[in-house]
Amino acid sequence: MDFSEPPHLKDIRAEAEAFVAEHVTPELLEDELRTGDGVSRPMLRSMGAKGWVAPMWPKEEGGAGLDPFETAAMLAVIRAAGGPTVGPGTTMLTANAIRAVGSPQLRQRILPGVAAGETLICLGYTEPEGGSDVFACKTRSVRDGDEWVINGQKMFTTFAHRADYCFLLTRSDPASNGPRGLTMFLVPMDSPGIEIQALHTMGYERTNIVFYSDVRVSDELRVGEPEQGLHVIRAALEAEQNVAPTSRTSHLYDAAVSWARETADAAGDPMLDDPSVRRRLARLSIDAEVSELLGWRVAFLEQLGAKSGPHAALFGPESYVRWSKEMLDMVGPAGMVDWADPEAVHGGVFEYHFRCSVASTIYGGSSEVLRSLIAEQLLGLARSRPKS
Amino acid sequence: VNLALTDEQHLLQVTFSSLFAKEASPTRVRIAESIGHDPGLWELLIETGALGVGVSEDLGGGGGGLLELALIAEEAGRRVAPVPFPETAAAARLLAACGVRDLLYDALSGARLVSLATGSGAVERQLLTDGAVADIVLGLQGDQVVAVHRPNDVRPVSNMGRLPMARWGSAAEVDILAEGDRPRRAFAAALDDVRILRSAALNGLAGEAIEIGAAYARERKAFGLPIGTYQAVAHPFADMLVAKDGAQLLTWKACWASAEQLPRASSLAAMAYVFSAETAYAASQHSLHIHGGYGFTVECDIQLYYRRAKAWVTTFADPDRELNVIADRNFGAAGSTRTPARVEHQKA
Repeated sequence: MDFSEPPHLKDIRAEAEAFVAEHVTPELLEDELRTGDGVSRPMLRSMGAKGWVAPMWPKEEGGAGLDPFETAAMLAVIRAAGGPTVGPGTTMLTANAIRAVGSPQLRQRILPGVAAGETLICLGYTEPEGGSDVFACKTRSVRDGDEWVINGQKMFTTFAHRADYCFLLTRSDPASNGPRGLTMFLVPMDSPGIEIQALHTMGYERTNIVFYSDVRVSDELRVGEPEQGLHVIRAALEAEQNVAPTSRTSHLYDAAVSWARETADAAGDPMLDDPSVRRRLARLSIDAEVSELLGWRVAFLEQLGAKSGPHAALFGPESYVRWSKEMLDMVGPAGMVDWADPEAVHGGVFEYHFRCSVASTIYGGSSEVLRSLIAEQLLGLARSRPKS
Repeated sequence: VNLALTDEQHLLQVTFSSLFAKEASPTRVRIAESIGHDPGLWELLIETGALGVGVSEDLGGGGGGLLELALIAEEAGRRVAPVPFPETAAAARLLAACGVRDLLYDALSGARLVSLATGSGAVERQLLTDGAVADIVLGLQGDQVVAVHRPNDVRPVSNMGRLPMARWGSAAEVDILAEGDRPRRAFAAALDDVRILRSAALNGLAGEAIEIGAAYARERKAFGLPIGTYQAVAHPFADMLVAKDGAQLLTWKACWASAEQLPRASSLAAMAYVFSAETAYAASQHSLHIHGGYGFTVECDIQLYYRRAKAWVTTFADPDRELNVIADRNFGAAGSTRTPARVEHQKA
């Protein structure tokens, strides 16, 4: 067993740090904090030029041929610097599904643009009345010659207003319910009949409500077979649950330790000498370590072509929420000052984490969905949701 | 990064998994509750050479490391095997580190059961975890590593975890084995070995506690459905399983860091101990709870796990106080850090 970091990660990390220094500018960071789009087109194209949008794809497909560890290390550097990776990260969930099950024409049409950082694809799964219940999809698709006509409404379509396509889940068999009768499309976001409404979050993010009214989509943009959408979306959902997440619990720990080292109490002693601070940081160091190890296991198993299960996707965000609250208590009122104020502590990092963390146990499979998956698939417990 | 066991380690794991499954059945565990020890199983364990797995071959050991010992401890923990493994395995490594060949030979051959006094203060006054069955315990007095011999009349202390606990009193005879800074550090390393091996044993315990509970939740019905259907029953098991896997990775990382003599090794040992202690308690508590009243009866195996999940921790170290140990190891002792902030303040 070997827990040492592969020596070659130093190189990719150095390369990522150079990338950050050049491309993640203060203007870009402020723009992201103001808009909350999760997208920077210039940074995306620069990533594409290095093959870093699809880092694990071979170079001939526009990737960089990185292994899972290199990929995680590279993304961690960009994310730690505040570079917006929601756009490329989300796009790749769809791109990998297209690469696995899309027609050769579709792959040729879409994937090179994705890898180059030219094409952004948002996700259209969730609907107003169906969150965790993805298959409660009511958005309709009706075939009309070489085209399909789509009507419906999707919720929480992050960066819809910046995307080129939406990976859209629709119901094409009106008599069906649940996971059957579904068809997946790549809908061009400039199609007539699409209306986008901004939805702002308390985590400095913008997401959207998207309305589809008689939107016509070419059959060439169908992903997978008609009414076999389950097969297509399952691949994308699994990819999301088995993704090696950057441990934000570790980011929080690093920020808290440097705060405790650099900040003095009223008597002039470092906060790192305060018994309460020490004990909390000690306990947090454990959760940060466990989050990282579970993430490493995802990358390790991915390298062997195996799936780890959603352990990291459950533990990481759950611990992140827990500790973002605890760290704000520890830092006190100064920690509440937000990034826009010159008095902000460490750029307002503690209030930022407190605002953002709560969403992490919701998107990408809520903790409850992940717990049910583990209970059913790994412990053989009975399915808790009614079968449709 | 390589998170896979070698073929040899895997074989070791499988071997001890089946040994404990056969020789530490719930029936045997219950029989041993009267004295907290199963002499037959102990003898078998000595024969397999398990105790010396973490001792180099030229000193009569198996030439493995802490990870190999942790794999054995985990399998022992899975069956709550009534044998004093963590302290005796750590004691063997301490004897090797101090170069005490004759006593090491006796320990590995089973001629004398040599354990470790892990509490603070004089050995004679400690409530020794293995005091009722040990012939010798190793302790630290100042900067001396000492061997304390069991006095004639030792009264086993009846306790919650059915551990072979006893207090030896001042009649015990004391030999000085080694003296100085190196032995003192070797003793500290032995305590870290115990942290890691206890954590491994607790991981095994947690894994089986989850399995016992999940098996019951698959079968037992309430309101016409298996109780595992209900998320209030099922979901905590998912959290426990994730935590158990995380604890196992952390324990293994601590073993690796110790073998590589990394600066973070001692910190990781304490972190693994705290996390495994929390996880084993939570897993056995939920598992017992979902058995309803049955889980509370002595006939139910889960209560064997529930009591030991706590006893194996309480007998060694309070996890909450261990957070202070982790903080000292991560950041240095309080007051030892002269940070820029402090310097700035003093200038002002």
